[in-house]
Order: sequence, then structure tokens, then C-alpha cells
Amino acid sequence: MADAAAATVPGEPSSSAAATTTVLDSLGEDITRIVTPVSTCMLLVVLLVSLLSSPSSPSPFTAAFSGGGGGGGGGGGGGGGGDDIATALITAVTFVVAVTAATFLLALLFYLRCTPCLRAYLGFSSLSVLLLLGGHVALLLLSRLRLPLDAVSFALLLPNAAAALALAALSPASVPIALHQAALVAIAVLTAFWFTLLPEWTTWALLVAMAVYDLAAVLLPGGPLRVLLELAIERNEEIPALVYEARPVDPRHGQNWRLWRERTQSGVELDANSTVEVISEVLGTNHGANSAGNLGVSAIRSDEQVNLSGDVRRLGTSMPNLSSDSASAQVEVLPASPETSVSVPEMRVPLIQSRPERTRDEEDDEDGIGLSSSGAIKLGLGDFIFYSVLVGRAAMYDYMTVYACYLAIIAGLGITLLLLAFYRKALPALPVSIALGVVFYVLTRTLLETFVMQCSTNLLMF
Amino acid sequence: MEARVAGVPEDEESGLLPRPSAAGRRPSAAAARRAPPQPVWATVDGPLGLPLEEAEGHARRFFLWGFACLPFLWAINCCYFWPVLRSPATSSSSAAFSQIRPYVVRSAIGFTIFSVVLLTWATTFIIGGERLFGPGWNDLVMYNVADKLGISGFMG
Repeated sequence: MADAAAATVPGEPSSSAAATTTVLDSLGEDITRIVTPVSTCMLLVVLLVSLLSSPSSPSPFTAAFSGGGGGGGGGGGGGGGGDDIATALITAVTFVVAVTAATFLLALLFYLRCTPCLRAYLGFSSLSVLLLLGGHVALLLLSRLRLPLDAVSFALLLPNAAAALALAALSPASVPIALHQAALVAIAVLTAFWFTLLPEWTTWALLVAMAVYDLAAVLLPGGPLRVLLELAIERNEEIPALVYEARPVDPRHGQNWRLWRERTQSGVELDANSTVEVISEVLGTNHGANSAGNLGVSAIRSDEQVNLSGDVRRLGTSMPNLSSDSASAQVEVLPASPETSVSVPEMRVPLIQSRPERTRDEEDDEDGIGLSSSGAIKLGLGDFIFYSVLVGRAAMYDYMTVYACYLAIIAGLGITLLLLAFYRKALPALPVSIALGVVFYVLTRTLLETFVMQCSTNLLMF
Repeated sequence: MEARVAGVPEDEESGLLPRPSAAGRRPSAAAARRAPPQPVWATVDGPLGLPLEEAEGHARRFFLWGFACLPFLWAINCCYFWPVLRSPATSSSSAAFSQIRPYVVRSAIGFTIFSVVLLTWATTFIIGGERLFGPGWNDLVMYNVADKLGISGFMG
């Protein structure tokens, strides 16, 4: 026993030395795993917009020219009739008010523990988006591309695909992770495409209003999203919502990624005060009887020592010192009680410990970014949608604005992730990206385009 | 001292072990003495997917619901339990999979039949065209149906 104990303790420093490289190694991949789906969503929306924007709608060029010729530049005119700034602002404010009311209603339902209501609402909304909007987009594509698909197959395939994707979006535990993520991206693409059908000034006003709303709702103490988040943390539950969660980089670290998500509902309600008592209780039972203390928390799949030190490492990089000290005490206790049945609850203890801390980082709302219980990054589907709306609207003008806005949005996302790593609490993902995106769109459209045009016509560049 | 491995039922208290950690082990305890046994994952997601004891109920549910005119559930079943489908019938892990395997195999058969039927019909429709169907073809093509119903314009 002693040699095993001695063998494990020297293992600790090397594993903690490896801890820094592990975090740094996986950082780039973490970011890639969240940037890829955002980029895919934006790409699909741009493709759909390019294919389907009907030539009968007034192109921004002619509108700008007519507006410029008539009113002399400035911000007046806009697109077709009925699309002026006043209408746009009124529509945007109405939408923000509606979203605020809906979020407060969501918070109220969550407070009253009506989880079936919330899940039913989620199911209904995702199914209707996939069926109605998806069917509509499919019909538009078939008409535009003149694909000779017959009505019978279409009627067979559409409800089928909609049901399967809705199921995949709602219960991530029953489908492959790739399909779940693809279903979420599909819902975002369809909703974003629908939003791009709005008139131009309304779209821009809506984007800016939503960015301001997101900032207020997540950071202000009275904001609906913050209220919802605090409720979720207090109860150690997850809000049922459409949230994209990046796959954890190291499957060993994300060991029970989805088991955690499910068992949190039925697991032990813990707060930070009880962690120390839980640890001592487990130690007591270990030294006492040989019974497996069934703590009712999620089980560990793998039972290697490496996995235990892996969890310790993960805690050590992000948790206060208390956790790593007690966890290293666990490592020494482990060989001392050789019977297998006690090793299971001991290996659970670091997880219990981490959970109250971890859930402070959990962010489950639809318009924020945060860290999940396995350390993977979570991004709400609303963010996907509004990023894609911005890029889609830029695509309706020209591809130059698309590139500029895409780069601006990804830069904004990177900045938000940096702030997330720094502050380790839920942050709104919309404001920075939308602000950069709008600024770059305006700059590109006014300054860069004339520059490029002049260079091209004078055969200087491009 | 040999490395002790959690979850391996080797003493009388094995009945007290919580089930989730006992399942997923290789049935052969002899192999466990050599090295920690690799847990056996039934799903394509590996450690992030379903644990073994839930997999059977899940496979059965998807198989039965597929009969409600939802053959894509069969496809999801096959993709999700791909390791079960691909594991040879005599390997040691197939003992654990033996409950799941019939449902997955039947789901695969069902989805194959459905896709063959659908593809045959769609290909006949596309290639045959008006020569084969006569004027009825124009009534069945989707874009004409959409135009007739007036839903191919922009919504809202």
C-alpha cells in the first residue's frame, strides 16, 4: 500500500505540470469548435440569400441611387416604400418589448417549476420552425432550381425530416452529437433566413436593439436573463432551452458530459457550504465499512487512476486551492483502502466538489455565452441567429460586405470568449459582435467600396 | 500491489455497487486482472454517449416509433449504434451488445427498404417525366403544386 501511495504522489507533480499544457493545448480547439458552427450557419444563410433573393425586390444599389439622387445622401430613403427609419424603430422596439415579456414569462414558469410547459413550448417552436419555415425554404429552392421532385415524396420526406431534426434538437442524449448540433444549426439557419426577409432598415434597427437588450438583460441586476440564470444556479438545475454546446475537447475530461446534464435534475442539491461536509463524510465511510456510499450522483465510466488525476488537474486549473488539497488527499486515501467498492464514491467526490462551483459558470439562456458543466463552451441559438441575420443582410448588398462583416463578427466572438475566460461568468455574446459588424458594414459600404471601385476603374488594383 | 480497479465485481459487496458503474465493463473478469478493462461503448459517441444499460431501451423505443411513418428514426438508430452493427458476432463485446443488436439490425433493414422504395419511385418520376406519366406529371411535380397553392412566394 505504501509503495502504491508513494507511487501516486510523485505522479501528482508531473500531472500538474502537464495541466498547463493540457489547458493551452485544448484552448485553440475549444475556440475552433465554437467558431466552426457559427461560420457554417452564416455560410448557409449567405448561400440561401444569394440563391433565393428574388430579383423583383429593389436592389440596394438602385435604392441607394434613387435615395441619393432624390434626397441627397444621408440616411433617408432606405429601400422600397414603407421602409423608413420611423417604422423601423417602432418595429424594433416592439420586438424587444415582446422578447423581454417572453423572457420574464419564461423566468416565471421556471420559477414555478413548470418544466413540462417549457419543454412543450420548446418542442412546439422547434417543430414549427422546421416544418413551416423549412418547408417554405425547400419549396422556394425547388421552384428556383426547378428540381422535379414529386409531391408524394415531398409530403413523405418533409414531416419525417422535421420530426427527426426536432427530436435531435430537443433531446441530445438520444441522438449522435453531430446530429444534435446539425439540428440546432438548421433551426438557426431557417430562422435567420426568415429574418432577412424583413425590410432593410427594420433589420438593422432590430439588430442594434437586440444587442442593447442582450447587454441589459444579462448584465443588469434586474434583467430577465440574469434573473433566470440566478434561479438556475440557485436550484442547480438547467433551464430547458435551445443552446449550442460545443463538444468537449478531451472526452476523458468531459467524461459524463451528457449524463451530467441529465442527472443534475435528479442529483443531490448541493451548495458550497456542504462540500466540505460531504468530503469528510465520504472519507469517514471509506475508513469505516466497506460499503459503497451511494451518493446518488453521476457515475464514473472509466476507473483508471489517470482519470482521477485528470479530474484533479481540471479542478486544479480553475478551482480554489481547497479543492486540489482535498482531492490530493483523496488520491492518497485511495490506495489505502484497497477494496474496490470504496474507490467509486471517492472518485465521485471531486465531481461533487466541482459542481457547485461549475454551475456558477453555467449559462443556459438563449442569448448568452458561458461554460457548461464539462468546461465546454455554450452559445445560445439566438446569437447564431442574429449573427447570421447580419451577414445575410450584408449578402443582399454585395459580397464585399459579407467578408467584412464575417471577419468583424468572428473577431467580436473571439473578444467575447476572451472576456468569458477572464470573468468566468455568463456574458452576452451579441453586443460586441453586432457593434463591430454594423460598424464594418457601414464603413465598407461607404468608404471601402468607393475605394475599390476607383482602384478598379483606374486599373490600379483588383 | 496490483492496481485496483473500480467497478469490477470481485467481492461479496458487488451487489451494493451502483449499477451504472458495474455495467459497461467487459463480462470477462479474467481480463480485468491484467489491465484496467476498456469500457465498452455501444454508441458512436463513445464516452459521451448513452451508457450501456440505457441503450437497449433506447434502441427498442426508436425501432417501435419508426413504424409511425417515421423511417428516419430507424436511420438515426443505425447511425447512433454503429459500433453495435459493425462489431463481429463473435467478439467479446458482442455479449454486451446482444440485447441491442436485434433492434438495430431490424432498424437497418427497415430503413433500407424504405429508402429503396422511395428512391425507385422518385427516380422513375424524374426520369420518366411526361413520357411515362402523361399530363398527370405536371400535376404531381412539387413546384407546380406549390405554385397552384400559392405558397412559393415570400412569406410574410
